[in-house]
Amino acid sequence: MSSDLPYTIRCIATLEGHHDRAWQVAWNPAKPLLASCSADKSVRMYAYSTKPSVSAGSDDPSAVGAGRADAIALTHVSTIPTGHTKTVRSIAWAPSGRTLATGSFDANIGVWEQEEGDGDGEDGENGGGGGTREWECATLLEGHETECKGVAYSAGGELLATCSRDKTVWIWEVHPDSDFECMGVLMEHTQDVKCVAWHPSEQILASASYDDTIKLYADDPDEDWVCVQTLAGHQSTVWALAWSPCGTYLASASDDLTIKVWKRAGEHRWEGNLEIKGAHTRSIYSISWGKGKGDGGLGWLTSTGSDGKINVWDIQEPPEGSKELEHKLIASLSSSHDINDVNSVAWCARAGYEDMFATAGDDGLVKAWVVVPA
Amino acid sequence: SSRNTRKSRFETGESLWVNDCDSDDSWDDSVEPIDQDEIFELIRSISDPEHPNSLEELRVVSAKQIGIGNNHIMVEFTPTVPHCGLSTLIGLSIRVRLLRSLPQRFKVDIRVKPGSHQSEHAVNKQLNDKERVAAALENPALVDTLEKCLATAGTRRI
Repeated sequence: MSSDLPYTIRCIATLEGHHDRAWQVAWNPAKPLLASCSADKSVRMYAYSTKPSVSAGSDDPSAVGAGRADAIALTHVSTIPTGHTKTVRSIAWAPSGRTLATGSFDANIGVWEQEEGDGDGEDGENGGGGGTREWECATLLEGHETECKGVAYSAGGELLATCSRDKTVWIWEVHPDSDFECMGVLMEHTQDVKCVAWHPSEQILASASYDDTIKLYADDPDEDWVCVQTLAGHQSTVWALAWSPCGTYLASASDDLTIKVWKRAGEHRWEGNLEIKGAHTRSIYSISWGKGKGDGGLGWLTSTGSDGKINVWDIQEPPEGSKELEHKLIASLSSSHDINDVNSVAWCARAGYEDMFATAGDDGLVKAWVVVPA
Repeated sequence: SSRNTRKSRFETGESLWVNDCDSDDSWDDSVEPIDQDEIFELIRSISDPEHPNSLEELRVVSAKQIGIGNNHIMVEFTPTVPHCGLSTLIGLSIRVRLLRSLPQRFKVDIRVKPGSHQSEHAVNKQLNDKERVAAALENPALVDTLEKCLATAGTRRI
C-alpha cells in the first residue's frame, strides 16, 4: 500500500448481474445513469443519486470527506438483452444521453433509444435515471466484416465512429429518426482496430490498433475523411485512448505496459510529450481522463488493466523550464476486482461527480468508486 | 454467477480443482501450490490438429517448458516445423485447456519457443490478446476444431 498518496479510492457500489465478463462501462453524459456491457450479450443500466439522508446538511453533491463514499447510491434499473448474437464489446452514449450505441463481436452496431414515455416522466423517482421505460433497438448498423471492437459519438453527436478486427474505421453521419449514413470507411490500419475516440470539441477522430499505432483523422474540404497523422512509438497493441478534457492532449495505453501522452503541436499534428512506465505489470486495457477535483490543472488520468490495479494521476501543465507534462500519482489500488482483469475504467463527467468513476471486470462485476482525500 | 456458467460450459471432470471451481469463495492461503508436472498433465494429451498424435508425443510440449509464478503460468511450446500454420490453433488449445481446468486466479501466458517459428512474434501476440481469444471462442467452426483437439486431453490420469 502506498499510504503516502494524498487520495484513496473507495468502492461505493459493486453491481452484480452480468453472467460473463464485463467489457465496458459508460456514464450517460446528461442523466444520472451508468451503462455496462458484457460477453453475456446484455447491457445493464444503473441509476445513481445522492442519498437524501447524507446530503441533508448540504445539497452540494460535490461535498467531499468521509461521508462522500456513503453518499452516492447506485441501483440497477434496466437490462437490454440486445439480441446481439455474440459478446457486446463496447458501448457509447450520444451527447444528448438519449441514445446508446452497442458494438458487438457479431460485427453489428445496435442503436438504442427509450420508448416514448406516457406520463411517467423523463426522470424517475429514484434520482432521474429515467430507467423505467424500455430501451428499443432504433436501428442496426451492418457493414463491418468481423467483430466490432469500439464505438464512439462525436462531441456534437452528429457522427458515430466504429472500428473492427476487419482493420477499418467507419464514420457514420447521424440523421433524424435513427437514420445513419456512412461517410467514410477508413482503411489505414494494418491490423485490428481496438478503439476509437473523438476529440472533445472538434471533429477529429483517433483510432488505436493491434498494429501498435494510433491514427488521427479529419474531414478534408472535399468532405472525405482522411488520415492526417500516424503516431508510432508504442511497442505493442494500443488498447485505449483518452483525450484530455481541454482537447490539447491525447493519452494512449498499450500492451507494452506504458501510457503515452501526445500533445497537439498544430492543427493536425501531435507529438509525444510524456511516457508513464512501471505503473502496471500486465496489459493496460483502459484509460480515462476526467476533470477531477484537483486545483485546476489538466484533470485526472486513470488507468487499469490485466493486473487489476487502478492508478489515478493528477496532470498539470509542464512546470517552468520543462516541456513535459507534470504527472503526480495521487491514488492507487491493487486487486480492484480481486484477482480478475479489469477491462474498462471511465470517469463520470457530470457536474458534481468528477471524483467518481466506474470499472468493469472479468468477474462480470461493475464497480463504482470515488476518489477521496486520504 | 459467471463461474457457474463457465463450469457448465467446460468439462472439468479430471481437474485437480473441480471442487474449487464450484466455489464462489475467494482463494485462501491453504490452496496447494501448483507445479510444472500438474500443468503438464493437463496439456500433454491434447491432440495435434493435423496428426494423430498428442502434443507430448510430438514434443510440442514438455514439463520443463512450463514456468510457474505467483498465480501466473507461462507455457512455452515448440511447433513441429518453423512455418507451422496451425501454431496459433495449438496455442489456443493449450490456453482453453488451462482456462477450463485451472482456478480463475491464474493468469496464463503462452509463447512459442524462441527461434522455433518464423512468425514467432505474431503467434505470441495473437495467443495473448484476450480480445482475440474471446472472439475466437465465439466462432463455432473454430470451437469445433478445438474440441477435437481437446477431446483426448482428459484421457490420461495423474
